Parts: sequence; structure tokens; C-alpha cells
Amino acid sequence: MYYPEPISKLVDSFTKLPGIGPKTAVRLAFFVLNMEEDDVLDFAKNLANAKRELTHCSVCGHITDTDPCRICDDRERDGSIICVVQDPKDVIAMEKMKDYQGKYHVLHGAISPMDGIGPEDINVPPLIERLKDEEVKELILATNPNVEGEATAMYISRLVKPSGIRISRIAHGLPVGGDLEYADEVTLSKALEGRRDL
Amino acid sequence: MYIEELTLTNYRNYNKLTVSFDQKINVIIGENAQGKTNLMESVYVLAFTKSHRTPRDKELIKWDAEYGKIEGRVFKRNQSIPLEVVLSNKGKKVKFNHIEQKRLSEYVGSMNIVMFAPEDLNLVKGSPQERRKFIDMEIGQTQPVYIHHLTQYQRILKERNALLKDLQRQFITDSTMLHVYTEQLIEHASIILERRFLFLNKLRKWANPIHEGISQGKELLNIDYNASVNVSEAMNSEKIRMVYEQHFKNIENKEIDRGTTLIGPHRDDLVFTVNDKNVQTYGSQGQQRTTALSLKLAEIELIYEEVGEYPILLLDDVLSELDDHRQSHLLNTIQGKVQTFVTTTSIDGIAHDTISQAEIFTIHDGQLVEER
Ligand SMILES: Nc1ncnc2c1ncn2[C@@H]1O[C@H](COP(=O)(O)OP(=O)(O)OP(=O)(O)O)[C@@H](O)[C@H]1O
Ligand SMILES: [Mg+2]
Ligand SMILES: [Zn+2]
Repeated sequence: MYYPEPISKLVDSFTKLPGIGPKTAVRLAFFVLNMEEDDVLDFAKNLANAKRELTHCSVCGHITDTDPCRICDDRERDGSIICVVQDPKDVIAMEKMKDYQGKYHVLHGAISPMDGIGPEDINVPPLIERLKDEEVKELILATNPNVEGEATAMYISRLVKPSGIRISRIAHGLPVGGDLEYADEVTLSKALEGRRDL
Repeated sequence: MYIEELTLTNYRNYNKLTVSFDQKINVIIGENAQGKTNLMESVYVLAFTKSHRTPRDKELIKWDAEYGKIEGRVFKRNQSIPLEVVLSNKGKKVKFNHIEQKRLSEYVGSMNIVMFAPEDLNLVKGSPQERRKFIDMEIGQTQPVYIHHLTQYQRILKERNALLKDLQRQFITDSTMLHVYTEQLIEHASIILERRFLFLNKLRKWANPIHEGISQGKELLNIDYNASVNVSEAMNSEKIRMVYEQHFKNIENKEIDRGTTLIGPHRDDLVFTVNDKNVQTYGSQGQQRTTALSLKLAEIELIYEEVGEYPILLLDDVLSELDDHRQSHLLNTIQGKVQTFVTTTSIDGIAHDTISQAEIFTIHDGQLVEER
């Protein structure tokens, strides 16, 4: 199918978003053509600003527009507990539940030798530094409940254990993925049993 | 249990096929490349959501189609249950009683299958991998949680081997991560081994007398488990775990040296002996076939013991490969209890008794015709 160049380019941009295939991209592109000009300009500006103004918090690694982030900066929160997660999305999910009052550390991934990702390739060394400087009593490891997430949690646990900090493991949610998984009661109960000491 | 009705849509060389089956024996006659194996395979996929001959689901979809579908009604525990597997480029979906199942472990086991194809005659002679696949499939279909441990084990194994390669080339020197994977691996390995031992015990109980029967009392079959570590079948998973822990410690340097995992269930094998001689090395072709047949027949009884219903038996092109004596033994075992599908290119090699009881279909180019 031939489209005028500006449309082709827009379609191409939309297909870069997750979950958007060529057909949806075309539909979205034509939708944009019918939008109010102001809305379109706002849209473009917001896209650019989100990228330009958001950085990673230098303390916890969460995405933020201030540094340190609002969570790290919040004196009301309990700095003696740190919850370690793989992804900024996990912080947002935890915050929605509203009952966690400690702080976070975002790893931005999990250890996987197969993919060439070692502990230094994710946000692990800054976590170890943090534990030296801050008065942390408890570490909650909330990495994903799959092989890589488990291995990452176990690795951090082995590293931190000698310091005497209490370590617990919580598996939030279930493995996500489009294809069917051979998962079972084990995964499910792991997710439900909540924190357990490591 | 038995299949009442099967509907294929864009499956392999089938456009659209709806067929009702006999509760007992169904004989499907067709020339080469007409779709006999495809039909058997579709029943297999309906049970396991995976083919027995390819790991790539895409091959199952008719060449020019976007998706393929297998629907079946299986009668089990006095109920007729609709099952459905939809295959597409985007992945597959399974439905039990019209409800989509997100976890395969909740689906597999809905229908139990024992398949016997010519390649199974090689079970004894073939590679250790084929024997491991045999034991894993059989345990998996009555204990879905076993499949979970296996898949986890495979994933950890891949990560661990990648790490061992890094350690071997000295890209890294810290072994903390290796110990993490060893711990994870042992957790699943010890459960896998325990379940394999329990299964073998039951399998022997059925296979040994069956083998004795087929050989008219002349042959004593035994099945041994050849483990890569020093364990005994009397051990539970806790004991097995301790053995693994010790062994992995002892061979750590060797594993780093070789850059790969040297022990575990993925290195184990089954050993069949007849009258104390290894059938794989010393058995005649006839003895090897008898062994394979005994194992398949034992599976039928074992599933009955575990599930409370007989599985569905698929005999793809294999009945005519067995001599009259073995054929009649097989038919005695199933004796109207087991819904059986027999495919063949010609009716000639098949015992008259079988034919007289059976529903006959002929197959041509993906079209099935009921003869009587
Ligand atoms: N995805 C597919 N789409 C369409 N046709 C296919 C597909 N996969 C296989 N076929 C066709 O199906 C036929 C093979 O069918 P099948 O293996 O069931 O034969 P068969 O009747 O068992 O023959 P044999 O007696 O040789 O074992 C071949 O002609 C092949 O081209
Ligand atoms: Mg065939
Ligand atoms: Zn922060």
C-alpha cells in the first residue's frame, strides 16, 4: 500500500511502540490526521518532554523528573526498608497498592549469562554502595518469579547476608508473556505466600 | 475415555474435517502422504498441545492458512467434554469446556494418550535423549507439575552452561553466581529424579509381567535407571538433594574446565535388560521390539491406575510391523477397553479379528470416508 511520505513516517513511528502492529499503526496515523491541531502539537510536545525531562534517580534508579526522586526525598517514608524491583513499572504497581511505606531500588533488569547480563550490567553495585551508606535494616527482594528473577534475588541475598541485614523475598504477580506457560500451583503459591526469609 | 468427535480446520493437509469415531477400534486406511499421520498427530496435539514430530507449531497450520484449529469431544467420567486447540502465528490457545486455559498444566491431562509409532520401536536402540523423552512425557501427562520442574530445569541449565562458558574463558572469576544456579538446579533436579524413580517402580510392575507374557515366559525384562550421580531409587528428594550438593561441589573445577554442566537428570538414561543382558547392546531386533511393545502396553495400564480411565491408543503404521503373535497380544490387552486408532497403508498385514471388530475409514488427500 502506498501512503504519502508524512503518513508513512508516522506509521513507522507508531510501529515502534510495543503491542502495535502495522494495521493498528495505520489506523492510529489516520486518526491523528483528524485530530485538532492543538491536540496534535500537545501530543508531540509531551512525547518529547517525557523523554527529555525524565531521568533515572541517582539514588534508587527509578524514573523521575527530580533528582533524587520524590520517593527517595520523602521524609515520611521508612528509609530502613528497601524493596528491590526489576523495573520502574514494578514501583508504580507497588505504589498503587499504597500499603508499602519503605523505599525502593530499581535494578533495570535481571542477571542472565545467556543474554550476557552480569551483576555489573544492572543496578546492583549501586545497591551495595547504598547499603553501606544508609541505615538499612531490611531488604525485600521483589524481582520477577522466573528463573532470572529468582537467580538475581539469590545473588543479592548471598552478597548482603554477611552484613546482617534482614532479607526477604516477595514474588509479586505472575510471569507475563504472550505464549502459554507451563506454570503451575508452585508459581502461584509462591506469588501468594508473600514474603519469606531467604 | 474416548474421543466421540473430532473437527480439524486448516490442520496440515486438512481443510475441514468432522468425524465421529467408534468407542473401540478405528482402522484408517490410506496410501502414503494422504494424511494418516497428520490425523494421529492432531489427536496427540489435542492432548499435549504439542506435536510428537515437530517442536514448531507453525508447521501444523495448513500452508496457506492464518490459523489452524483442532476441536474434539472426549467422553470421560460419564461426561462429554469439548476440548480445543487453536494454533496461529501469534501463539496458541487452548480451551477446556469452552473456557480458555492460561496454564498448560491446567489443560494437559484432560485427555490421556498412548502413541505407538514405528520410531518407538527404536526406543531401546535409540539415543538416551529418546528414552528421557519417553519417561518425561509419560510422567508429565499424569503429573503436570512435573512438566513445570522440567521446563524450569532446562532454563536454569541454559543459564548455568552460559555462565560456565564465561568462567571457562575467564571472562569472569567470581563463582557466586555459579553457586546460585547450582542451588536452583538441584532444587528441580532432585524432584525430577524422585518422580522418575516413583514412575519407574510402577512401570516395572506392569511391564515385566507383560513382557513375560509376550515372550511366553522365556524372557525376564528389567528396567534400570542409570543416573549421573550415585543415588539409589529408595532415596527421597531430600536425600537426592544432598547427594547432588556433594557431587556438584566435588566437580566444580572440572565443570569450569569443560564449560558445561556434567551431571543431572539431563545426563541420565534408562537401561533395559532381558535375562540380565542389556537389550540395547545384545538384544535381537525381536527382543527390542517386544521390549518397546511391553513398555507401551504397560503405559496403558499405568495410566488406568493413575487416572481411573484407560487412555486413547494411537497406533500409527505400527500394527503391521508386529508379527501375528505380538499383534494378538496387543489386542488382548486392549480388548474392548481402550479406544484404539490404527493406521495402515494396506489392510493385509492386520489380523482378521481386529478388522472384523473395527470401524473402517479410508483416507484420501485429507478427506476421510467411513466405509462401514
Ligand atoms: N502444514 C501443511 N499444510 C498442508 N499440507 C501439509 C502440511 N504439512 C504436511 N502436509 C502434507 O501432508 C502429507 C503427509 O501426510 P501424512 O504424514 O499424514 O501422510 P501419511 O498418510 O501418514 O503417509 P505415510 O503412509 O507415508 O506415513 C504430505 O503430502 C504433506 O505435503
Ligand atoms: Mg505416516
Ligand atoms: Zn529515588
